[in-house]
Amino acid sequence: MRKISSGAILFAAFGALAHAQTQQELLRDGNSGSTDNVLTYGMGYHQQRYSPLRQINKSTVKRLVPVWSASLANEFGEQGQPLVYNGVLYAANVKRVVAIDVATGRQLWMTALEWDPAVARVVCCGLSNRGVALYNGKLFVGSVDAHLRALDANTGKEVWKVKIAEWKEGYSITSAPTVANGVLMTGMTGGEYGVRGFVDGYDPDTGKHLWRRHTTAGPGEKGNETWPAGDAYLRGGGSTWITGSYDPELDLTYWGTSNGGPWTAAARPGDNLWISSVIAFKPKTGELVWHYQWTPAETYDFDGNNENVLADIMVDGVKRKVLMHADRNGFLYTLDRTNGKLIAANPYVKVNWAERIDLTTARPVETDVAKRLRAGEKVEVKPRWTGGKNWMPMAFNPDTGRLYLAMLEETSVYQLNKELPVYKAGERYMGVENTTAPRTPGEPWGYFGALDPLTARPKWKLPLMDLPSWSGMLATAGGLVFSGRSTGEFLAIDEDTGSIVWQFKTGSGINAQPITYTHKGRQYVSVLSGLGGGTSAKRETEGKVLPGGSVWTFALMPD
Amino acid sequence: MNRAKIILTASLLAFAQPASAQDAFKPEQVKSGSETYARHCAPCHGPRMADPEGAPDLRKFPRDQRERFLTSVSKGKNSMPPWGDLLKADEIEALWAYVATGGRN
Repeated sequence: MRKISSGAILFAAFGALAHAQTQQELLRDGNSGSTDNVLTYGMGYHQQRYSPLRQINKSTVKRLVPVWSASLANEFGEQGQPLVYNGVLYAANVKRVVAIDVATGRQLWMTALEWDPAVARVVCCGLSNRGVALYNGKLFVGSVDAHLRALDANTGKEVWKVKIAEWKEGYSITSAPTVANGVLMTGMTGGEYGVRGFVDGYDPDTGKHLWRRHTTAGPGEKGNETWPAGDAYLRGGGSTWITGSYDPELDLTYWGTSNGGPWTAAARPGDNLWISSVIAFKPKTGELVWHYQWTPAETYDFDGNNENVLADIMVDGVKRKVLMHADRNGFLYTLDRTNGKLIAANPYVKVNWAERIDLTTARPVETDVAKRLRAGEKVEVKPRWTGGKNWMPMAFNPDTGRLYLAMLEETSVYQLNKELPVYKAGERYMGVENTTAPRTPGEPWGYFGALDPLTARPKWKLPLMDLPSWSGMLATAGGLVFSGRSTGEFLAIDEDTGSIVWQFKTGSGINAQPITYTHKGRQYVSVLSGLGGGTSAKRETEGKVLPGGSVWTFALMPD
Repeated sequence: MNRAKIILTASLLAFAQPASAQDAFKPEQVKSGSETYARHCAPCHGPRMADPEGAPDLRKFPRDQRERFLTSVSKGKNSMPPWGDLLKADEIEALWAYVATGGRN
């Protein structure tokens, strides 16, 4: 009896060891670490979404075939990026987390994320979950009812669960958590409901709350002077619904912040730091080190949340530590990530609310369109509130020095309401009327493109004529870029020319984030299929695509 | 027995409002519905029911399916959350008045 128990304990210990993925492995993910694993949101703390793998390349891609598909039984949409560790793929959506054996596609465990259906009232733009984090044998996942859970990565059993905020006050989680310097961090969403944005730090072992980094400056904080007197900062928005990147050498984590609350800036005169910004802070303490505001006095619903990609690139003959960001406001920015100083900012889609970003003041020079909008006129704004690019992440190939992204070209008809909105907890807090301007026939919905980060000049642009794309990108050393279409085609694109060299039609629309990795020496590519998670793709594909989530995994057919 | 039958018939008739009954909506009810609509529904179903953002076009909602409308709003349907614990029954009725009249009354 005794013998059996100790054997069982030994086995359990080994099992835990096999999954005891460490901070060291996190540091090396996407950075000379084993290509068998994908351990971080963005395929590396830098979020470059680049893999050195080249087994699947321009010559061999014609032999790329699906090797398995697994249902996720979810009609709300798949935006997630799976993680892979020791031959197990972990995928999440708003309803569940699933562990799948990479070799066979069979499910190892499934854990449901239960929430009150009324929660959907406070998730503005689609019920979503963009992924999980892995650390030291645990898997971490947020849920739309604003809870953060730790699961045993071997079994899916809950280890701890904490409520980060009250969903009835408009707070929820749609983003993947992340672990940096031993601290588990999560963002939140709710910028349409008068929330006060924050990033929270937790002890990954116990779920103990360590700190809260608010994204609107309160009394006594530098930046509070950019808010009107009173308590507008308490409802000022600045939610944090995309996972931050991290530079381990500088020990800084970079998080984008959302639109202001309410949408109409007439309710909150001032620049409103730190909404529509990137903030750089210490993961151990949440201490703010620098900020850069993409859209001061934001009133367009130009969230500044999407990915901040880190790389070391040549700028005027000098290697600089930079942060690259294609904002919803239509400008592609390169900042010095050591101090937040602006290096370059150029429009990458049609922009009419600002002429340019002044490199001396580092601020946008607003046009007459912006002035008339702020004065209460109904105006056409480019880009539409959904942005020149939305949350779907771009990829950066350090060899070509180019960014690969899906761009959106739409125009809104936008007006600030005469009456300021009245705040009621957990209800819409906007004060704007926004519709979409009719499309010009023959104009593309958007593009896939390869851009220079410093000039936004394209190496190539592939017009998207039938529908825009809401899919993330993956670049590889095989000379390929992977992405997808709302109609479900998973694509391999030649990174040099922008030609689509391979495609496969999955079961529903693709608006997710492909990954690549190896298992027993074979390169795999996985992506989630399932229209939704955002509202615009549903509008655009009305009557053309049905939802329904699944994981698809591809590899080369043997000769 | 007879009396019960009459009451039952009367309530069934009240339930099955013919399409022409939209003329019976009071303007203040439609106005109240339009305000609730603008606050809670417009973000997905579009301002004044035009240009819906991913949610069904309510201008096409069958005018003879009041019950289905009231149930869907209060209990939720597909991606739409339940509103029954936030909006009062008369507010949901006013929403129906707004939708059934196409906002014109």
